[in-house]
Amino acid sequence: MKIEILYSEIANLFGDMANVRYLEKCLPKAEFIYTSINDKPKFISEKVSLVYMGPMSEHSQELVIDALSKYTNEIKASINDGVNFLVTGNAMEVFGKYIENEDGTKVEGLGIFDIYAKRDMMHRYNSIELGTFNKLEIVGFKSTFTEVFGNAPKFLKIKRGYGNSKDSDVEGIKKNNFIATTLLGPILILNPYFTKYLFEKMGVKTKLLYEDEMIKAYNKRLEEFKDEKRNLD
Amino acid sequence: MRYFIALMVSKIAYFMIRLIGKDGTYFPGKLAIKICPDFLGHIKKPKVIIGVTGTNGKTTVCNMIIDVLEDNGYRVLNNRKGANINFGIASTFLEAKGEYDIAVLEIDERSSRLIYPYVKPNYVVVTNFFRDSIRRNAHPEYIVDFINKAIPKETKVILNGDDLICTGVAPKNKHIYYSIDKLSTDTKEPINIVRDIRICPKCHSTLKYDYVRYHHLGKLHCPKCDFANPTPDYLAKLDFDKMTMDYKYDTKICTYPLVSNSIFNIYNEIACITLLTNLKLNPNDIKKSLKKLHIVETRFTKEVINGVEIITHLAKGQNPVACSRVFDYVKNETGTKDVIFLPDDVEDNIKTSENITWLYDTDFELLNDPSIKKIIIGGPRYLDNKLRLLLAGIPEDKMILIPNELDTAKYIDKDVDKIFILHDLHATHLGFAIKKQIKEILGGDKHEN
Repeated sequence: MKIEILYSEIANLFGDMANVRYLEKCLPKAEFIYTSINDKPKFISEKVSLVYMGPMSEHSQELVIDALSKYTNEIKASINDGVNFLVTGNAMEVFGKYIENEDGTKVEGLGIFDIYAKRDMMHRYNSIELGTFNKLEIVGFKSTFTEVFGNAPKFLKIKRGYGNSKDSDVEGIKKNNFIATTLLGPILILNPYFTKYLFEKMGVKTKLLYEDEMIKAYNKRLEEFKDEKRNLD
Repeated sequence: MRYFIALMVSKIAYFMIRLIGKDGTYFPGKLAIKICPDFLGHIKKPKVIIGVTGTNGKTTVCNMIIDVLEDNGYRVLNNRKGANINFGIASTFLEAKGEYDIAVLEIDERSSRLIYPYVKPNYVVVTNFFRDSIRRNAHPEYIVDFINKAIPKETKVILNGDDLICTGVAPKNKHIYYSIDKLSTDTKEPINIVRDIRICPKCHSTLKYDYVRYHHLGKLHCPKCDFANPTPDYLAKLDFDKMTMDYKYDTKICTYPLVSNSIFNIYNEIACITLLTNLKLNPNDIKKSLKKLHIVETRFTKEVINGVEIITHLAKGQNPVACSRVFDYVKNETGTKDVIFLPDDVEDNIKTSENITWLYDTDFELLNDPSIKKIIIGGPRYLDNKLRLLLAGIPEDKMILIPNELDTAKYIDKDVDKIFILHDLHATHLGFAIKKQIKEILGGDKHEN
C-alpha cells in the first residue's frame, strides 16, 4: 500500500501532519511517499491508496497551484477513477477556480471544482464545527481567512459552526473518493468513525490504534459541541 | 485640538482608575486613540526608543533590557506592566512622569501597523518567529508581513541570525545579527515536529541543514542558490560548565554570565546584550547587571523542599514551540523528575470547547524519557491529552490524566529529584496553588532561588 503526502515541506500547518503520523503508526507496512514541491506527484503515474495534502500559507497556495497546474487533467482523471484524496484546511481552495484577494486581484486555481475563495486577511474566522457525513457525526475546528463560495458536491452538512462560508450550511467537497474539508488539525484522530470509513475505502482492515481512547475523546467533544451554551469560538 | 482633548480625557481616566486602586494599563490609551486616532504620533516620547518583538521571548528580553538599563542609572519608560498593543503603548506614554532617557517597548507583532507609523524606534530587537496561536496568528509568514509593511525604514533591526524567518524581516533596513555558535547538543537532522521554513524563499529548493538547534533554528543553506544564514555580527560561544559565554564582535571578546541554562533564555540574553552593546553600554557594566538578573516569577520559580526541587515554568498554551522548548528543557535537566502539565485554556473551556490542534504540533515525544517518572496532566481536555501522550509513545503506566488541575499534586512521587509544574500563562494561579500543595506534601520550607 502506498500513501502519498503532497508537499509536506509547506503544507503542514495547524497540527495536520498528525493525520499522517497517525496513519504511519496504524499502517507500519505501508509505503509513505513524501512528494516535494519540485517533484512530480506519484499518483499521476502510480496506483496509490491515498493522496493527502494539508493546509499552508497563502504564498504556499500559489506555489502548490503552480506545481499542480501541469497535471490538472491527470488530477481530474484520478478523481473520476475513484482515487482516495484527503485534503484539509485551505488546501481545498487550490482545486477551485480562483482565490480573490481583498483588492480584487485573483490567484487562478486549478479549476477542477466550481468554487472560489475570498480572502480577508484582517479577519480570521474561528469556529468549532459539527457536521454530518453519511450517518457519521464529524467534529473539528475551522480557522481561516477565507470564505468559499460556488457549487461543488458537499462533504459535510453543518449542524453547528461555519460552512464553506459564514452563512453556508454545507462544508467541503466530496466527489467519488475525493474529500476536501476546511476543517483543520488531526481530523483522523478526532473522528475515529470517519477514519474507519477512510480505512475501508483504502482497503485497510486494521483496528484503529488507541481506538477506545479516541472514541472517549470523540464522545466528550461531541457532547460539548452539541451544547448550545458553548460558543462557536 | 483633538489631541489635547484626548490627552486631557485620558489623563483624567488614568487618575480616576488609579484613585480606585486599579492599574489602568489599557483603558486610558484606548480612550485617547478612540478620540484621536494618531494620538501616538503627537504624545511626547523619549529620544531613544527600543522596540522588542517576535513570537517567543519578547517579554523576557524587555525585562532584561529594562533591568540592566535601570541598574546602570537610566530612567526607562516601559510597558512591562501593560499591554503590548497600541492602546497599552499609548497608556505607557500617558503615564510617563518627567523625563526619560529611553523607552523600551514590547510590541505585539500584529499591532505593528498601528504603532510604527507613530512610534519610530531607533532599534527593534526581534527574537524569533514560530507558529503561534492558530486562531490569532495563523502562521509566521502572516506575522512577518505585518512587521515588514509597517517598520520605519530608519529603524535598525537586531535579528536572530540562527532563525532564517527572522533574518527576512525588514529586508531594506540596517540588519544586525546575533547568533550562538555550534553547540554539542545541535543535531544533524531535525527532531521537532514544527519547522516553519523548509524551502528556500528564493528558488523553492528544499533547504539543507548544516546543523539543527531546534525547530527551524540552526545553520541551513539552499543547495541551489546563495540563501543561507548570514554571517553574525555578534557571536556567542557558550560554556555550560562555567555558565559563561564568550561574546565576540569586531575584534573584541567579552565574557558574560549565562542567566539561565536553557537555550531559549540564552537567546533572550544575547538579544539583550546585542542591543545594549549597540547602545554603547560598557561591557563591564552590562556584566555586573546581568549577574543580578532573575527570570520573573510568573515565568520561572525554583524552590528546594526536603531535597526535592519544585520548579514552576511558564508553558504557553496554544503555542506549540513554547511548550516544546520547555519539554526539551525538562528532559535535559539532571536527575529524576515528575512533570505536572496544565495546558488547557481556562477561558476557552468555559466559553467554548478548546481548539486542540496545537497539541499535535507540540513535541510531547520529548517527555518520553527515562528520567521522567510520571506525567500528570490536569484539565478539561484530559482525554485529548491522554491520546496525545499515547501517540507520543509514552507508557500508559507513567501517565495520570485527570479533569481537575488542582487534583494533580496528590499524584507526585516524593522520591524524585525534581518536580516540574508547567502552566499556561492564564493558569499561573493554578500552578502556584499546586506548588503550595506540593510543598505541604513534602513538608519543610527551604527557599533557594
